[in-house]
Amino acid sequence: MNEGLDGKRYPEVRVEVEAELVRAFAQAVGEREGSVPPTFATVPEVAGLAQVISDPELGLDFSRVVHGEQSYEWRRPLRVGDVLRCRPRIEAIRSRGGTGFLTVVSEITDVEGEVVVVARCTLVELSR
Amino acid sequence: MNPRFEDLSVGDELPPLARTLTRDDVVRYAEASGDRNPLHLDDAAARAAGFPGAIAHGMLTMGHLATCLTRWLGGPEGLERLTAPFRAPVFPGETIVAGGRVRALDPAARRAELEVWVTVEREGRHEQAIRRGTAVIRFP
Repeated sequence: MNEGLDGKRYPEVRVEVEAELVRAFAQAVGEREGSVPPTFATVPEVAGLAQVISDPELGLDFSRVVHGEQSYEWRRPLRVGDVLRCRPRIEAIRSRGGTGFLTVVSEITDVEGEVVVVARCTLVELSR
Repeated sequence: MNPRFEDLSVGDELPPLARTLTRDDVVRYAEASGDRNPLHLDDAAARAAGFPGAIAHGMLTMGHLATCLTRWLGGPEGLERLTAPFRAPVFPGETIVAGGRVRALDPAARRAELEVWVTVEREGRHEQAIRRGTAVIRFP
C-alpha cells in the first residue's frame, strides 16, 4: 500500500435510510422490526469505502484483506427517512512484517450537516 | 425489563445472545450491507486468502453484538459507542454468543462502560471472534 496517502479524503456518497433496506438489514442482524439497527451505519460506510478499496493510487490487494477492527460512535440513533452523507478519510496506513493496516474514518452526517455517527474501520492486508 | 442505571453494578453481566449463522444468513447480510467481498461468499476466494472456506463478515458478528445490546436496552437509544476487535473468523454453520460485563460506571454522566465479546464454540473450545470490545451506553 502507498503509505503516502495518509489523510486522503474521498468524495461523499449519499445513502437514504429506506424502510425496505432497514427491514432487510434488521433481519440479517437478527434485530426486531421497528427501529433502525445501530450498525445500519455500515451501509453508508461500505458505500464510501468502495472508493478507497478501488483507489489505484492506494494499491490495496483486496483479495488478501480481512477486517481487523471496527468502531462506531453514535451521536443519535439512525432514523428511517434520514439521508446520510458519508465522507471517508484515510486516517492511518502502516505495515508490520509484510502485513498492512489501513484505517479509514467515515464521518456520516444528516442533511442538516449534523454528525450522526463516526465509523472507524481498520482493514488488514495479509502478507503473501 | 430494561435496565436502569441505578440498578447497575460493576461486574454485572448482560444476558448472552446466541445465534447460529448459516450460509444463507451470510448471503443475506452481504446483500443488505452491500459488502459483497468474495471472502464471505466464495470458498475458493477464501482459500486463496488462507482460510479453509468462506467466513462470515466480521460486521455480521458485530451486528449480532449490537443486537444483544439493543435487546438488553430495549432499543438503540443511549448506545454511544461500540468497538469490536475481530480476533477469530466465524464459519457458516457455527453458533456465536454475544455477551458483556459492566466495567465502569459514571454516575455524573449516567454512562456505563461495558467490556463486550462474541465467542464461538469450535471443537470443544471457546474462541473469541470479538475479544475485549467496548460499549459505552448513556442512560436517561
